[in-house]
Amino acid sequence: MVLLINIILNGLLLGGIYAVTAVGLSLQYGVARILNIAHGEYIMVGAFLTWLVHTKFGVNPLLCLAVAGPAMFILGYLVQTFLFRKLKEKTPTPAEFEGSSMLMAFGILFVIQSIAIFLWGTNIEGYSYLAYSIYLGDIRLSVNRLVILIAALAICLLFYLLLTRTRTGKAIRAASQDPDAAALMGININRMLALCFALGAMMAGFAGMLISLVYQLQTNMGMQYTIIAIIVVVLGGLGSIPGSLIGGFLLGILGAIVNSIEPGLHMAAYYLLFMILLLVKPSGIFGR
Amino acid sequence: MLEVKNLNTYYNNVQILWDVSLQIGEGEIVALLGANGAGKTTLLNSLTGLVRPAAGSVAFLGQEITNLPTNEIVELGIAYLPEGGRLFPDMTVQENLELGSYLKNSWKIRNKRLEEVYSIFPRLKERRKQLAKTLSGGERQMLAMGRCLMSGPKMCFFDELSYGLAPKLVKESFAMLKTLRDHGITIFMIEQNVNQSLEIADRAYVLENGRIALEGTSEELLKSDHVRKAYLGL
Repeated sequence: MVLLINIILNGLLLGGIYAVTAVGLSLQYGVARILNIAHGEYIMVGAFLTWLVHTKFGVNPLLCLAVAGPAMFILGYLVQTFLFRKLKEKTPTPAEFEGSSMLMAFGILFVIQSIAIFLWGTNIEGYSYLAYSIYLGDIRLSVNRLVILIAALAICLLFYLLLTRTRTGKAIRAASQDPDAAALMGININRMLALCFALGAMMAGFAGMLISLVYQLQTNMGMQYTIIAIIVVVLGGLGSIPGSLIGGFLLGILGAIVNSIEPGLHMAAYYLLFMILLLVKPSGIFGR
Repeated sequence: MLEVKNLNTYYNNVQILWDVSLQIGEGEIVALLGANGAGKTTLLNSLTGLVRPAAGSVAFLGQEITNLPTNEIVELGIAYLPEGGRLFPDMTVQENLELGSYLKNSWKIRNKRLEEVYSIFPRLKERRKQLAKTLSGGERQMLAMGRCLMSGPKMCFFDELSYGLAPKLVKESFAMLKTLRDHGITIFMIEQNVNQSLEIADRAYVLENGRIALEGTSEELLKSDHVRKAYLGL
């Protein structure tokens, strides 16, 4: 029983991180049709910014959301406006753009990673924050993990409310379902694309901050999170935001189960699930 | 109100529209008739910036709009109901309508507009929480029309309002057009249903192979031998 509860809690914790990691990618793909291979690099930069601000200036890591989020938002906005938008003007058909934008994202991945290595080297970094446990009966809860879970749920909830309750959120969803019809509503599509890309990058920055609370950081950590995000997005259904949220938690629980049996195998289990999905239900749980 | 001069549009390097010119005055209902593939939809797409014309000019209320992006054209007071409605399928009826009021000035008064649209189409109010993709063909067309009205347009472009509708609903939707005109909305409509559109339109243009072949008042066109033979099968 205690074991089961621990697995579920660990699963929710991982799931929270995965969900925040994936919704950003899902938004970028759903609206802008960019499979952003560099997504994990934004996560890495978000994590390092948090580490930097926390260790250098003693700022509470949770408050570093206010640094990592906006910094990645601005970076994402600039990348969309000056790279992807220009690229789109040169590759008119959507199919061509999906291919060329992925190559562009590959390029961005290496540029961000090289700059990060130049700035921060290749050593493992980290800090500890709230690294103690509380007990509820027999169940041990580590406080920083609880904080992550609550923060992740809050971020996902706010993101969901943004998309469903606000004028801008409705415009984003409209643009993802039919860009031409959205333009006919008076929505400025180019601005909406830049905003979506920026919001996606901001979510990556948030995910980076959450990750830095419990995991060690390294400048080459990005790719792993990109892959997890892609698996979650495919699991939930390409372009479906609720799908990514739920997919994130499902993958987290799978990860926790595998971790409790053999910790080294969780990535292998994710890949296996990914391949099975592609064969059995490529449209994902919420796929259209 | 709308003045189109010598419009030429290409699609995949094939010329679709050839020197199309037309004028529409305030308060008119004008129909654009023509067979499938004549270029009717391309014309409306060119007027709203969804397709870029290669040459020619479009002016709305005296302002040149030829190369404006779609959202800026719409902002001047044009609402376009594209072929098949182009609703947002995974959003609710009410969300689709709200998006019709996306522009800043309309957004503030969207609830008032919503009530107006619901009073015209009570059916939409009943279904306001349903996803647009679950509606029947007639309801979709109502929703598409309601969404146009939510922006408080000065002029509406309708592409195949009667598309996929049962005869009774076709009649109703044509009757709606007159109501809209009485509310001061100018209408430019594409129709395959020549007989019924000439019944309610003041004037019409006939598009053939991308060129304006004929124009005139509805009475004139109903009397024209060419229209009677080619479009009415008489």
